Amino acid sequence: MANTLLSLNVATRTVNSGSNAVTLLDKINLQVKEGEFISLMGPSGSGKSTLLNCIGMLDSFTGGGYTFLGEPVHSMKEKNRSKLYKEYIGFVFQAYHLIDELTVWENIETPLLYKNVKSSERKALVADMLDRFNIVGKKNLFPIQLSGGQQQLVGIARALIGKPKLILADEPTGNLNSKQSTEIMELFSQLNKEGVTIIQATHSEHNASYGSRIINLLDGRIVSE
Amino acid sequence: MIRTHFKIGLRSIIKNKGFFALNASGLIIGLTSVILISLWVHSELSYNEELTNYNTIASVIQNRAFAGEINTNTGQAMQLAPELRSQYGSHFKHVVTSSRSSGFEITYNKNIVVVDGRFAEPGLANLLDLKMINGSISALDDISSVLISESASKSIFGDNNPIGETLKLNSALEMKVAGVYKDLPQNSNFKKLNFIAPWERLKTSQKYDERLGWGNRWFQVFVQLDDESSLSNVSAIIKDVAKNNFPEDSANAELFLFPISKWHLYSEFENGISVGGKIEYVTIFSIIGIFILLLACINFINLTTANALKRGKEVGVRKTLGSSRKQLVFQFFTESFMLILFSFCIALVLAFLILPLFNTITLKEVSVPFNRWSFWIASLVLICITAILSSLYPSMYLSSFRPVKALKGASDKHRSPLILRKALIVTQFVISSILIIGTLTVVSQINHVKDRPIGFNKDLLVSVPINNDKVLQSFESIKNELLESIHVEQVTASDEKVTSIYTTNGGFDWKGKDPNFEEEFHTIRATHGFGKMIEWEILEGRDFSQEFASDSLAFIVNETAVKYMNLENPIGEFINWGGNENYKIIGVVKDMVTLSPFDPIVPTLYVLHQGDYLNYINIKIASNTDNVKAAISKIENVFQKYNPENLFTYTFLDDEYQENFNSEKRTAKLIGIFSIVAIIISCLGVLGLSIYMTIQRKKEIGIRKVLGASIHSIWQLLSKQFMILVIISLLIAIPIGYYFSSQWLMEFSYRINVNFWIFALAGCITIGITLITVSFQTIKAAIANPADSLKTE
Repeated sequence: MANTLLSLNVATRTVNSGSNAVTLLDKINLQVKEGEFISLMGPSGSGKSTLLNCIGMLDSFTGGGYTFLGEPVHSMKEKNRSKLYKEYIGFVFQAYHLIDELTVWENIETPLLYKNVKSSERKALVADMLDRFNIVGKKNLFPIQLSGGQQQLVGIARALIGKPKLILADEPTGNLNSKQSTEIMELFSQLNKEGVTIIQATHSEHNASYGSRIINLLDGRIVSE
Repeated sequence: MIRTHFKIGLRSIIKNKGFFALNASGLIIGLTSVILISLWVHSELSYNEELTNYNTIASVIQNRAFAGEINTNTGQAMQLAPELRSQYGSHFKHVVTSSRSSGFEITYNKNIVVVDGRFAEPGLANLLDLKMINGSISALDDISSVLISESASKSIFGDNNPIGETLKLNSALEMKVAGVYKDLPQNSNFKKLNFIAPWERLKTSQKYDERLGWGNRWFQVFVQLDDESSLSNVSAIIKDVAKNNFPEDSANAELFLFPISKWHLYSEFENGISVGGKIEYVTIFSIIGIFILLLACINFINLTTANALKRGKEVGVRKTLGSSRKQLVFQFFTESFMLILFSFCIALVLAFLILPLFNTITLKEVSVPFNRWSFWIASLVLICITAILSSLYPSMYLSSFRPVKALKGASDKHRSPLILRKALIVTQFVISSILIIGTLTVVSQINHVKDRPIGFNKDLLVSVPINNDKVLQSFESIKNELLESIHVEQVTASDEKVTSIYTTNGGFDWKGKDPNFEEEFHTIRATHGFGKMIEWEILEGRDFSQEFASDSLAFIVNETAVKYMNLENPIGEFINWGGNENYKIIGVVKDMVTLSPFDPIVPTLYVLHQGDYLNYINIKIASNTDNVKAAISKIENVFQKYNPENLFTYTFLDDEYQENFNSEKRTAKLIGIFSIVAIIISCLGVLGLSIYMTIQRKKEIGIRKVLGASIHSIWQLLSKQFMILVIISLLIAIPIGYYFSSQWLMEFSYRINVNFWIFALAGCITIGITLITVSFQTIKAAIANPADSLKTE
């Protein structure tokens, strides 16, 4: 039996909009085991992205408990939290969010800089990654010179470089055509087989089918699994 | 990591060229001004410091009490130095009598050059630690020798060896060049000391021993203190030396030592107490420098935070990639630091290029001391201060973005530093407005004083100095010959120029004088026709007249003198001068401005005089002359004929009068220039903020236009908020400006009142310039096609 990676226990997020309290996530209970490939589905505004952000510790739940690798995230200080996600979580975005001023190589390298990895080791790791994704020839290009699919490849490479346990992908194929989408999804399923836990948010039934588990959200609640 | 920061910094500078150009130009202008001001301030503060004995040199000066007021004066009797040497010698290394520095004509091989120098006792050479290039420093012991400076040697002898050559001083004294010394530091009171001649020579040739006593305070006394002595102790010891040796003087002279470190900046005394002097300008410009640095930093903060939206995404990504806030702060700080370093380098080059021009305005010879390590340390400090002031906050601000929001591209409205930016803009305008008010005050004070009625007609009046006895003796012939010319209307002689009556005299007595009243009158001696020539206005009595032989014992007094003496009916009253002679007051003239027009009128006595004391021949050029040049050349011909040995020199009294304004004009120019700098920097700030605001309100503008808003109404909408900021700034700036202006004006007895219109004008200027700057952006935003701005949503 695989270990539990994270668990949410009546996790809730409410924000104040004007004088009204709006509940974005409502009493979410969720266990994620290592090696799972979960797809979050639901219409716009159902809370997919919010849930991803909260799991990724970019946002925080306003109520309930969140345990990541046995550590109680909800009672952690910002600093420790960021240490935690720096170590274990990689992000993939719909809009890729590469840094425009950096080359492909430098974009992929950046997380390693923040982990204080030595220069020689960084070189080796980035070279491996470029090799693996077949983008060695593009290493000196800037994001603007790449197609969307290529940009997303770089985005995924960048998310993987720190050897995270968990990849959070928010509509990773949302800006891509179907051919590019298929490539990316196959890559995800390949990564998942290699042992990386993945949680993706998606609108597409087809994309969701790559996963091992589908969670449907509506109005901030898990409606079915 | 640092390398990456530099790399990214460089790329983002290249990517956002326009933004960085705006940002850098503000910094460059600001830093250039700060560098120039700092160089000037440093040079002022280090005045005289290059002299070897800077720490031990002082001059002996004194306080004397007149009419209840204490005057401080540098003039000393020639008996003082020998007395100090013989009685108090252990406290000093050197005590030196010196004539005041003045221009002398030096004749060599029939060529005449005018050179500044002094007659001084031999100790001066050691006191100043002259560096001899040639000859001996002790040459002044020989009464026929003279020491000249390197530059004087160049201008008289060119490249030839001057040693042993004979010079003629003022076509009278022959002297042998016995030594050449390196020019004294430019940044010192002795910069113009181009020759030193033996004091004994002056004393014997002028028969001072027979003529001058303790009451003739014509000279300067410099001392170099013994290493063991302290200034205040020695001051206390010598305090009464002058009084004890000259008990007849009831002005209660108190000697004290005035250290060389204070000569330049603290030369003004009021009632015997040092009240500063040029140090005020050092303070003013230091404040202006700090202001400008502040403005540049504010600009940087404004523009950088306004640009933050663009950087928001990057911050978000970096944070999700694991960057800590500290690392981001460091990254942005590195980036700013690069920009500041770059701007500083450009500013340094600019300052270097502008320096010659700056020097002509400030009348200094400041240079950039590239070869001094202290300069580079100061530069580093300046860069660091600028970096900390300008980039600490933006770095903190940028790095504080929360990743989720930043990635969505939403501006963090609650955390937006808009209020802060507005406050900073207000600060900028407050500073600029204060500077504008300052400039206007100085300019209008100058104009006010220029318009001051001076009480006489200085137009077409020329003064020619009487260089020697020959000219004096041939005065009547010169006069007659000049009058033959159609160019010349009148000719008189006097002991002072009417635009600068510096001579003062005491020892007067009159009816009703308080016996304890120690009086001091300015006096001018002149030949017949002097008053008519300057077109003075006689209020009571009459002018001097050839018909009354008794007029040789008569005074004409000015109104101030009448008040000073407290006389009801001055005409016919007698004034006793020097104990034995009674002068009758025959006329009262309207007050005339005979000293600086910024100063009050002084009590003045006009005396009829022919003979020895006359120093100037005054010539009124015919008012119907359209050829002043011809008139001057005619005058020159006459003087050349009677006095071929001397250079013919002359001054238009009008020019001399205008010189009174030079220092204030310089101040006005400098404050004006720096106000413009301040305004330019503030405008860049406003430009940046208006760019930011129009971007933020793009959608709103689009919607309003779709709803039918006119370009004008949108321009108005966008400009209004800036107007509010400017008006708030003015409300703050006006009281501060009022305070500083009135403080500055207090120095002048003849001055304007701080006027409403100055503030009104300053307000209009600020508002006008802001409107123009803002309109660049607002009009652009207002005429933009709304379809474009709405599409982006």
